[in-house]
Amino acid sequence: MRLYAICVYLFLYIPIGVIALFSFNAGRHASQLQGFSTKWYGKALSNPFVMDALETSLVVAFCSALFASVFGTMAAVALQGIRGPVRATFDLLIYVAVMIPGIVIGIATLIGLVTVFDQLNPLIAAIWPDGFKPPKLRMGIGSLIAAHTMFLMALVVIIVRARLAGMDRALTEASSDLYATPMGTFRQVTLPMIFPAILAGFLLSFTFSFDDFIIAFFVAGSETTLPIYVFSSIRRGVTPEINAIGTMVMGVSLLLLITAQLLLQRGGKKSR
Amino acid sequence: MTKRTRNWLLLAPAGTWFLVMLIIPLTVVFIFSFGERASSGGVELALTLEQYTNLPARWAAFKNTMTLAPLGTMAALLIAYPLAYFLAVKTTPRWKTILLVLVIVPFWTSILIRSYAWIFLLGGRGIPALFEWVGIEGLRLINTPFAVLVGIIYGYLPLMVFPIYVSLDKLDKRLLEASSDLGAKPWKTFLQITLPLSVPGIATGCMLVFILLMGEYLIPALLGGGKVFFVGNALVDLFLQSRNWAYGSAVAVTLVVVMLITVTIYMRLISRLGASREDVSIM
Amino acid sequence: MTKTIDHISKKEFMEKLESYRKGSITRRHFLNVTGLGAAAAVMGASVPGLRPQPAYAGDIGDRVVLATWPNYHDLANFDAFTEATGAHVQVNVFGSNEEMLAKLQAGATGWDVYVPTNYTFEDYVKEDLIEPLDTSMLPNYDASAFDARYAEAGSVNGKLYGVPKNWGSTGMAVNTKHNGGNAISSWREFFDITMGKFSGRTIVHDYQLTTIGSALNAFGYSFNSVDEKELADAEKLLIDVKPHLFAITSDYQPGMRNGDAWLTICWSGDGKQLNTDIPEIAYVLGKEGGEIWSDYWAIPKSSERKAAAYALINFMLDPNVNVKEVLAHGYPTADSRTYDQLPEELKNDPIIFPAQELLSPLEFGAAVTLTDPNRAELMARFKSA
Repeated sequence: MRLYAICVYLFLYIPIGVIALFSFNAGRHASQLQGFSTKWYGKALSNPFVMDALETSLVVAFCSALFASVFGTMAAVALQGIRGPVRATFDLLIYVAVMIPGIVIGIATLIGLVTVFDQLNPLIAAIWPDGFKPPKLRMGIGSLIAAHTMFLMALVVIIVRARLAGMDRALTEASSDLYATPMGTFRQVTLPMIFPAILAGFLLSFTFSFDDFIIAFFVAGSETTLPIYVFSSIRRGVTPEINAIGTMVMGVSLLLLITAQLLLQRGGKKSR
Repeated sequence: MTKRTRNWLLLAPAGTWFLVMLIIPLTVVFIFSFGERASSGGVELALTLEQYTNLPARWAAFKNTMTLAPLGTMAALLIAYPLAYFLAVKTTPRWKTILLVLVIVPFWTSILIRSYAWIFLLGGRGIPALFEWVGIEGLRLINTPFAVLVGIIYGYLPLMVFPIYVSLDKLDKRLLEASSDLGAKPWKTFLQITLPLSVPGIATGCMLVFILLMGEYLIPALLGGGKVFFVGNALVDLFLQSRNWAYGSAVAVTLVVVMLITVTIYMRLISRLGASREDVSIM
Repeated sequence: MTKTIDHISKKEFMEKLESYRKGSITRRHFLNVTGLGAAAAVMGASVPGLRPQPAYAGDIGDRVVLATWPNYHDLANFDAFTEATGAHVQVNVFGSNEEMLAKLQAGATGWDVYVPTNYTFEDYVKEDLIEPLDTSMLPNYDASAFDARYAEAGSVNGKLYGVPKNWGSTGMAVNTKHNGGNAISSWREFFDITMGKFSGRTIVHDYQLTTIGSALNAFGYSFNSVDEKELADAEKLLIDVKPHLFAITSDYQPGMRNGDAWLTICWSGDGKQLNTDIPEIAYVLGKEGGEIWSDYWAIPKSSERKAAAYALINFMLDPNVNVKEVLAHGYPTADSRTYDQLPEELKNDPIIFPAQELLSPLEFGAAVTLTDPNRAELMARFKSA
């Protein structure tokens, strides 16, 4: 049994080790080791396109995760007290949003938004006051954040709802019996209890958004995210620079994961 | 503010978001799927079933997806289950946390970069070179269905381990002890107690992996060398190369319908096996 | 710098001057041959007022977005541009003309400059996606410096839409080590050897123009054919050869480099890069024909930073900048001013500048292939077969 576990861990970590190993390759090509060097880290860090792509990815991941956790939590809290067709509709939408493959979300968002924008842009231009340049709706960082937020929001609703369902109803009832306002009850009782779930939702959303390639591939317009940059580099002429980027991203993820784990453990203890 | 107004306000952002980013786009795709390819690409609105009658031209892509997705899911399950069992039942609490984090870390790093590692490992300078060294020559792994399968298992293994671990961890260890005290053979205990109780975890893991695999594009693109083609690859081709939006929309609609049917049937089966729907949909 | 010709006879000088007047040689050529160029350059540098005023003297904003092909630039040139103008260059990399067109059609505005290939211009103009160029914004553009063969596709209906960037050929790269030291010489041989002793070792592009084109060439048909019967033959050949392929990808350098692949359809610049690093990989042109192509600098209509777009193109047209580009990517330029600055060994390189008789059977891609639904669908069927 233990031997089996060791084998699985080797399977999981050998490829990662290989990536890290080759990131220190002195040679230009990713498939032959030619001595040790950290120059690719410097190259990656000073490459403005890598930095631009990283920045775009971070902005998109942060905004999407933020919107998704705020709106998702709001919806989860509201849905808790609703039955009937509204509830059924939202359940269906959440189910569909989580179920539909990313590639279909990407395609649908692309052709849906392009079609809508084509209708709206002349309209905006027509009603815009003369002498000012009318704004033009188009694909870009906004559409990417919107698309990510959509399916991540569904994910957050599911996570927060699970936590709300496991919550002791007696507590909120006691709170309102003691004449606390609904807002007060929410702030004092509900929020602290569901906070670990919201935080988990935020972190999961951040990772999903940061890692997403396929949706961004379709809806990012002229923006380049880090996965898009890595993908187009892999498509032609790989250098150990990609390994260096990958190793750094993995290192940072590991740090974030440990931090999150610590935060969650503390949060979990508090709410108990 | 009444409770009703409050709920409406709370739901408004999510509702608007779903309307603009989910309902409208999906409707546009649905409408386009009955259209025709415009002369220079793009779409001309029409009411024709031509795109749907053309679907057999992508039969191979659907066939590849519908064989490799379930196969990949099964393989990931078979590899993940013993590990999850080991983590939940056979480890001390201190090791448990460390080992769990070690399972999650790969999942939290880009699947793109992880698949990229396999391009090298399965390529001529990787594992085949090792085989050559022990005398087996001419082994070719990269750009084969096998390579895609390895990539799939590697990419989604953590996603499978985790839910199974959670369901096994909930299992009361005293049940196992009681069973063995009553003289049950270990495999009988496993079949009669452990396995049924972990069905919800298996169901969740399989569904997560299966859903992601049905729309997979990256792994076949990177490890299949353009030769192992999934529906996802066919879609990217239709939208980003041959610019046939109408046909692409029809393929996308078909993919979603196939998925909805498969997953619904699957959920029915699972609920018959004793897991409630809630268990399945909670991640 | 190579040595300039500084001793020419009076008679020769007069002859050159006469040809310059008649327009059969370019001003730059005239100045170089007569040595006046060097003199003018020295004078120009020493008298500030004589320096050409850059078109980007005004405020062009802080960024410009370029959509281009991979491995196609010297990144240092972009830094120099940023230093000169304050505008940062964002580079987006694409894999094929079809992909670029698809993105533009889908409204991926935000690009300011892109680099379409010769055969796409008619459609970009028809679709109203491309901006006519105002040459007064491009002082470094000298139409007479460019070989017309690689410049003419940039004009449609008498209007200029693109100025030449680089040209090249599409041939094949073969690792001669696995073929007894011999290269191969025809597309027929390319497909035959793939179904024979190179089985599992050949790469074809994920690009309809070149992959279908080579299969058509193997039958002796035109690279650009849209004839149904000829396309059916090509499709049959491609489907037959598919099980013997190593990959269908335009990313063939890694496979060729690590020894998994022995043969690939190849662009001349990649061929040069491979041959430089691994000498046993030879770049050859198919004797039945193949593609000769020319890429252009162009501005999409949707660009909202046109001043910056013009400034970038103008900057890249500067022969001193352009020569660094050529040295970095190994694709020839149609600009005689840049050509003159290239080191001798590059001018004589058979991969970069193949002999004229090898180039003559090659065809430029035809506009019809870009939008022909049968070719697009054939390629998609081949890939998903």
